[in-house]
Amino acid sequence: MTTEQKKRAIDRLESMRPLRAKVNESYLNSVEAMKAGKPTVWGMLNFYYGDPILKAMDLEVVYPENYGAALAATGVAQQYLDRSDADGFPTHLCGYSRASLGYTSRMMRELGGEIPPEAPLGGMPKPIFLMASTAVCDARYKWFQALGRYMDVPVWTFEAPIAGVKELFMEGSYQRMVDMGVKHLREFVAFVESVSGKKMDWDRLTETVDLMIEVNRIWHETSELRKARPCPMHSRDFWSSMPPALFLMGDLEDALQCYRDIYDEVKRRVDSHVGAISEEKYRLFFAELPPWHSLAFFDRLAERGWNFVIESFGYHPPIPLDLSGVNDPLERITRFSFEVFFGYYKDAQEQNVPAGSFAYPYLKYAEEWKCDGALLHPLISCRSASTHLPWVSNALVERLKVPSLTVEGDIVDLRLFDPEDAMAKAEPFEETMEHYRKVRKQEGFDW
Amino acid sequence: MPDKSKGLSRAREIYENRSHRARELKADGKKIIGYPCVYVPLEILTAFDLVPYRTYGDMKEPVTEADRALPTAFCPIMRSCLDCALKSRDDFLDGMVTAHSCDPQEKTSHVWESYTHYPYFHFLDVPGTVRPEALEYFKGQLSDFKKLLESFVGQELAPDKLKAAIELCNQQRALVRQLYELTKPSPPLISGTEIIEVIKALTSLPVSEGNELLAEVLGEVKERRDGPEKKPARLLVWTGTLDDVDIMQIIEGEANVVIDDNCCGLRAYRADVKLTDDPLHGLADYYLTEITCARTFREAVIGETSKDYAADLQSRFGYLKRLLREWNVNGVILLLVRYCDPFAFEMPGLKDYLDSLGMPSTYIEHDYTQGGLAPLRTRAEAFIETLH
Repeated sequence: MTTEQKKRAIDRLESMRPLRAKVNESYLNSVEAMKAGKPTVWGMLNFYYGDPILKAMDLEVVYPENYGAALAATGVAQQYLDRSDADGFPTHLCGYSRASLGYTSRMMRELGGEIPPEAPLGGMPKPIFLMASTAVCDARYKWFQALGRYMDVPVWTFEAPIAGVKELFMEGSYQRMVDMGVKHLREFVAFVESVSGKKMDWDRLTETVDLMIEVNRIWHETSELRKARPCPMHSRDFWSSMPPALFLMGDLEDALQCYRDIYDEVKRRVDSHVGAISEEKYRLFFAELPPWHSLAFFDRLAERGWNFVIESFGYHPPIPLDLSGVNDPLERITRFSFEVFFGYYKDAQEQNVPAGSFAYPYLKYAEEWKCDGALLHPLISCRSASTHLPWVSNALVERLKVPSLTVEGDIVDLRLFDPEDAMAKAEPFEETMEHYRKVRKQEGFDW
Repeated sequence: MPDKSKGLSRAREIYENRSHRARELKADGKKIIGYPCVYVPLEILTAFDLVPYRTYGDMKEPVTEADRALPTAFCPIMRSCLDCALKSRDDFLDGMVTAHSCDPQEKTSHVWESYTHYPYFHFLDVPGTVRPEALEYFKGQLSDFKKLLESFVGQELAPDKLKAAIELCNQQRALVRQLYELTKPSPPLISGTEIIEVIKALTSLPVSEGNELLAEVLGEVKERRDGPEKKPARLLVWTGTLDDVDIMQIIEGEANVVIDDNCCGLRAYRADVKLTDDPLHGLADYYLTEITCARTFREAVIGETSKDYAADLQSRFGYLKRLLREWNVNGVILLLVRYCDPFAFEMPGLKDYLDSLGMPSTYIEHDYTQGGLAPLRTRAEAFIETLH
């Protein structure tokens, strides 16, 4: 089979390409603006809290997590990893963080604040502040705090409360979170105004928040369409298309149109029973962060009839919620951000599952997207994206008779992911999926 | 001959058979509540006449059961704690309270709750910053914790009971600080190894019994003639959790560990809970701001819009300066449990701070296994030699 034919194993969405082009264009525009001296913020993926505010205040944001992946993909990461190690940071820290610590060390200590010439994609210029978050992992704020070693730059750390399932539904608990979130965002606006010298345009913020909500609603509805059999959209298209919804990257009006186009194309495929791969033998979900450096691996699985119909809980938009009665844009942001992690809590409570985010949603994915199996990808250097995977694996089989295949890897370090070994496991796993199909049928499941 | 039923001997006995007293209390009708870290307010449990019992890992027990529940590349202490729970080591517990002290504990909590069947399980969310709105939120979290316990025991908590429990726990904190006063002389009157035994014993007993034990230990140590030998170095050990004497004995082979910042050491006892009109306010303030765990984001000025590295380090590590001076320390071991991100990110910054004080330090990592002790010994001995 030729390389060209292999690429066609997944029928990528045509509508994804203009969106992707706009993502790339907006990235380059950002780089140019930053090079021209526009104030820049380094942001952690913060699940919306700070992003709409920075967007409304017209500040450029770069995400060192994403840039870490770019450093890995372009083969530049190793020198920064080495530098982080030499500076005394333990080697088992998050790969993204090590790359950015090393990058910053080089930029600030060797080059006096100039962007390293070898830095791909224009590099990341020195920011005016760092926007951290307590969501999901400790690295998300400890890493930015550690950058203080190289840059005298203030850090804002977002509080991302994470109650347990039954604790969330205690009387007054959710409202207290909202109260904290709104106050926190108000303080953040004052902080940004002080650091950047810009004033918040509240009308613009309202428009930005409305667009953020609508973009993510359409994006969510698109995933709902993927429940169709055959599934019309593969995980690779999800990952390629997610940046504007997840990071609010680029012009949101443009992004909204792109997502509408994607929705329309996926809907057309559903209506005409066109799948993302030519013969959908197996429907799977993928958890959690993909091996960015080896995405072609999914084409090889597609050749075997593996269609990835849903994926990566942490990258999915929140389940839409009615915010029509909430006028304060800061409260809208707060409630919207909370929904990312709390959206499945009610279901989780009914199913008596204490892990309402990350773990439980995969049971819903398997059941509602009618999955035959799961590909789990625990990461050596991102433990927070891996902790729940053994539980998910056990619960899938016990509750839904859905098996999973675990393939260890990493988001940055190529050496930790062995696609050949994974492919060798694929064939026997197909037998396992076949077996459990029969078990599900015997036990009265509808797929 | 020392009376083995008292003082240091009793602490050692409890260290070696931690659950014995808790099982006795359980047989007498008391309810025993487990907790895995210092962010769980013992005052609230004590006010309900519940017995707080800290659940540690066991370095000597290979992790087997937790392999089905957690990844291998993960906090070895949380893995070991869960492993012990899955092996029913703590089958006498009536409940468990976990806290969002770090991401591994937050995520392990839900796995723990899934795989065990305690009559009561509570997860306490702890904010990451010390901002005023975070403090207010945390106070609400403590209020929910109290309400759920009221429901569990079937009785409302009277404010005076909570105040009395705070005073009792503060008394324990003061007694522990008195114990550390006894490490100031050279040689110290009590070793770091013995202190771990005492602290671990305290966290296996009701607070009032722990205070009685501490009074005995203090009396005995002040009078003892068989204390630790004087060693060439006086060390501070800074770490997340050091709960096994095997580790401390290795470090104390060639040095006196006279002070620590360890959550099985001074960390939970360094300051007092303020007695405020609303007791929950004092508790929230103490647990969020006074415990010096690396998991908390601190800055020189809350919400600061400019940054000065020296001031930043002072805000994060300044409390160590007094310990170093008053305990006449001449070296610091930064002891990292592998995969502990909050402490791992601090390493170069803390080293910078110690360098600024002219204090020698070294960073040593271990994986909380018996097999990891030999390399730890090599590293510790090599560092201590440089201090001669």
